[in-house]
Amino acid sequence: MSETAEQADSGKPAVPSAPGVLRDRYTVRSNQPLPEFATPNAEAFVAEDKRDPNRNLFALICRPDLQPRVNIMRALKGATTMGFVPLVDWGTMLWPPLGRQCMTVIYERPVGKKLMANLRADFKRIDEYEINRRVIEPMVAAIKELTARGITHRAIRPTNMWYMDEGGERISLGDCVTTPPAFDQPVAFESVESGMANPVARGSGTFSDDLYSLGVTVVFLLMGRNPVAHLDEDQLLKQKIQQGSYNTLVGDERLPLPLIELLRGLLCDDPDQRWDIESLDLWLSGRRLSPLQSRLERRAARGFPFNGREYGNCRELAQAMAKNWELAIPPVLEGKLELWLRRAVEDAERAQVIAEQVRMALNSGNDKRAGIDLMLCKVLIILDPTAPIRYKGFNAMPDGFGSALAAVMAQKGDSRLMAEIILRGVPSLWFEARKSYLPDNSLMEGNFRELKGYLTQTGMGFGLERCLYEMNDSLPCQSPLLGEEYVVELKEMLPALNAAAGKRSDAKTWPVDRHVAAFMGARARSDIDRNLVQLTDPEPSKALMAMLNLFAVFQYRLGPESLPTLAAWVGGLVGPVVGAFHSREKRKELEKEIPKIIRRGSIVELYNLLDNEEAHSKDKHEFAWAQAQYHAADEEVKRIQTESEDRGTEAVRIGQQTAAVLGILIALITTTFVVIAKVW
Amino acid sequence: MAKKAAPAKGKAKAAKAGGGGVNKVAVLMVLAALVPFSLPTVALLFFTMLPTMGAWASERGPHKYAWLCVGGLNFSGVIPFLFSLWFGVHTLDESFSMLSEAGVLLWAYGMSAIGWLVYTVMPPVVASWISFTTDRRVAALKAAQKKLVEEWGDEVTKKGA
Repeated sequence: MSETAEQADSGKPAVPSAPGVLRDRYTVRSNQPLPEFATPNAEAFVAEDKRDPNRNLFALICRPDLQPRVNIMRALKGATTMGFVPLVDWGTMLWPPLGRQCMTVIYERPVGKKLMANLRADFKRIDEYEINRRVIEPMVAAIKELTARGITHRAIRPTNMWYMDEGGERISLGDCVTTPPAFDQPVAFESVESGMANPVARGSGTFSDDLYSLGVTVVFLLMGRNPVAHLDEDQLLKQKIQQGSYNTLVGDERLPLPLIELLRGLLCDDPDQRWDIESLDLWLSGRRLSPLQSRLERRAARGFPFNGREYGNCRELAQAMAKNWELAIPPVLEGKLELWLRRAVEDAERAQVIAEQVRMALNSGNDKRAGIDLMLCKVLIILDPTAPIRYKGFNAMPDGFGSALAAVMAQKGDSRLMAEIILRGVPSLWFEARKSYLPDNSLMEGNFRELKGYLTQTGMGFGLERCLYEMNDSLPCQSPLLGEEYVVELKEMLPALNAAAGKRSDAKTWPVDRHVAAFMGARARSDIDRNLVQLTDPEPSKALMAMLNLFAVFQYRLGPESLPTLAAWVGGLVGPVVGAFHSREKRKELEKEIPKIIRRGSIVELYNLLDNEEAHSKDKHEFAWAQAQYHAADEEVKRIQTESEDRGTEAVRIGQQTAAVLGILIALITTTFVVIAKVW
Repeated sequence: MAKKAAPAKGKAKAAKAGGGGVNKVAVLMVLAALVPFSLPTVALLFFTMLPTMGAWASERGPHKYAWLCVGGLNFSGVIPFLFSLWFGVHTLDESFSMLSEAGVLLWAYGMSAIGWLVYTVMPPVVASWISFTTDRRVAALKAAQKKLVEEWGDEVTKKGA
């Protein structure tokens, strides 16, 4: 984000409206903007602490489409360490001007001003005698503090540094949590590799990136101006690649030798050689080290002609090719690059690897185009192994991929490229090219493999949405079902759905969509993937039971005990589950019981009522018996109806037999009577 | 095997027919021997039981039930007079005297007529009764089916649902 944008953003007028209230304690005055405290992507407003009205606070309102660094907020909240503008509190708050929940960060208001109002402004330089005490020492202490907490700042620049006192003695670092890491950083303050990445995809990086930014900041402060103000971001990056960061930023400026040593160490373009905290400590303690000489990549004997220009080294060429993806393919496929590497660069090893990659791409089976894209990606990695993952114009550090995906999805952009990168295993190409083993890289590579697995499943709870939440621990659920609710943790999901339930327009909508399911899958501690698969079961009753099961488990484990509106929502959908019982009596019984449970707001009870295996089994058996009875009766009726003719004949025979028996009986009775009459 | 079985079967049939004939002859001979001692009874029975004999002679088919029905009632009409003969004057004259009385023949033939009536009426009555009971059974089965549908829904009518 350029400083021009920073200025423009900071000058935005706020919409006068009601104040926002954070945690029932901090009142954020939406009609009292503080443009001087705003960052390029977060507006600042006056904040008041109800418990201590005398505190001078300001609030930064995060952009809903950018993922804030919640983990860093947790780490920095309440930290009283010198070197940071104190982060007082943070949380989501209903922000009236936007009419939705927004992440809000409350800071203590610095007494002094920013070191630099904007990157084009001149300011009073800090001389070499002062800079150690006033800037380098507190900044090194701050970076040490961050390193101890396992986090990085990624927003170290003079426009984000404040004088914390009237005298301008104490300097502190400003906000670093309202946007993804290094999103607001101009290219000047980023190392070459990070500068190549898309701003949103620069990733958290390491303390080394913070030290580089500190080095650039020191250059600015020593000079009292922006030494590269005349260059746009592309030109600056190009110059850094060609001449090295130190030469680009310091140029012919005359600096004291100790500072040259410091700046050569901090601005070293090789991350492995760049000074670390120990080197800085040594330097601060007065031990002088020999200045690092920038080792620029050897220039080729002749330039490589590409897109109307000639490129003299591999890194420069790779950057140009990454920016012109389609144009880069023909020279690579035609073997021109291989030839150039052999003859002009005299690097037969790399030429051989590239030739092998081209051969494999040309012989790739079904999807030749995909093979060629992967080949070019790999070629770019071979040409410049330290550069970010570069694929079809998208450049990202592996740890910045998550925030980039979050931004694309929040802005409803085209996420197909991101999906393609994961599915084709592009990150693994980058990891394979690492020269040394790093546990973090192994972890990330494993994560990307897992993401590929999620992406190959298209059902609810998987796909790109699952990747989004797996990669971004602190990303709020993006589901439109939640409306204004800001759900970052799983325990907030059911209360948010409960609140959203009252506002739903369509009673038939499920309280689970792709985002909610993916969020639950990513945030649940246990493996719920089997339940998520069942959410898309073609049998509605099974799918509903899977959803009920998820909600019931979460309500049981995370509460709250009563969710009447959500229970009513879910209760209104359980028709197919009730319908799965054959017995009308059982259905009536359930229909009578469900409203009572809904009133209690217990999804657990609702689930237990409907997921009664014994009742289902009994119902099944009794239904089978009833069916058998019905069909037996049917058979008998049919038999009676078809045997009517035979029955006529039978009736005649029985009638005749009856008549015969009757005749004999009458004879016998008469005889008996006569005998009795005569004998008596 | 078949050739051996066939003559054996024929012999058995002949033996059975022969046995029946011997019995009949023996019975007839015993009856014939009794005739001289009960001629008045035989005369009375012969003339009064003519409808029964007619019924026996006229009936075709394997099962002869009409003569039993007609005969039973016919005999009911005759028996009082037969007892009068036996306990009165058991002579041929008395027997013919009785036969000459209209009342005796009226009773005998009237009762046999009733026997015919019973024999004629009984099959339709039985048929009606059977029809009534089967109708009741069908109604009961249909009611049970209706109850099953009410309890389990239309799915219960489907086979193997």
